[in-house]
Amino acid sequence: MPIEIVRADTGDTVSLRISGTLDVLTAPEMGTQIERIVNERRMKVMVDLSGLDLIDSSGVAALVALYKRVRAGGGQVHVAGARDQPLAIFKLLRMDKVFLL
Amino acid sequence: MDPRAIRLTAPCTLHHRALVVRLVAEVCRLARSQAAVGDAASTDDLAPGYDVRDPFDVAVVSAFAEIYNNIVLHACEGMVDPIIELRAAVDEHGVTLELVDHGQVFDPSTVASPDLDSLLEGGMGLHIARAMLDVVEYEPGPPNLWRLQKRLPGSSAVPAPSVRIAQR
Repeated sequence: MPIEIVRADTGDTVSLRISGTLDVLTAPEMGTQIERIVNERRMKVMVDLSGLDLIDSSGVAALVALYKRVRAGGGQVHVAGARDQPLAIFKLLRMDKVFLL
Repeated sequence: MDPRAIRLTAPCTLHHRALVVRLVAEVCRLARSQAAVGDAASTDDLAPGYDVRDPFDVAVVSAFAEIYNNIVLHACEGMVDPIIELRAAVDEHGVTLELVDHGQVFDPSTVASPDLDSLLEGGMGLHIARAMLDVVEYEPGPPNLWRLQKRLPGSSAVPAPSVRIAQR
């Protein structure tokens, strides 16, 4: 299943619902979203991964880039909802604590 | 060579990645089914899409996808119409996957273990594969060969390398 990224803005908060597969093929689409969010200087980003079925290291790198760049600008990123294969990958890479999954 | 081995030759591109990964996911499911019901296991009830939730499938598919990415992006980078061969075998102990490419030789010993205490944006692929599987072997070519093995839960032995490539 290809990736689907649904963005919703509420005040200063951006919510991203990512579904499908976030991998080497689809991570560039995530990169486009990151650029927009960083350029808009959004201070709070909520990422819902409950619809994410598969992730690879390129997908993880995209989420880490989002996390680092928003925080570098003084903002916050909350990642939630990971399950199954994506959760296993986050735990293996010890990112479950960073993302507070 | 095990006559029951499943073989696929495909263009070595990211656009064929989903096809190859799906085959691996179904091989995992077949292995689990075979462990449960023996030779009555079949692929007649192929899932309509990805269903990578069982921990065994999660491990094999995650590891395989990382190795496949590395072959496409690094070993076969710049090649004209590169191909990749996948051979998969299932026995009572688990799954053996072999990937053969004709790209540049790689030296896995040069890849350092990632520092997981820092938030990384790269260099995680081989670590994922090694952590998820029981065997990750590489034989430089040409052609290059990756051998990946995963034991089924409850099995004490790794699968026999029954699909070892006869002609390299």
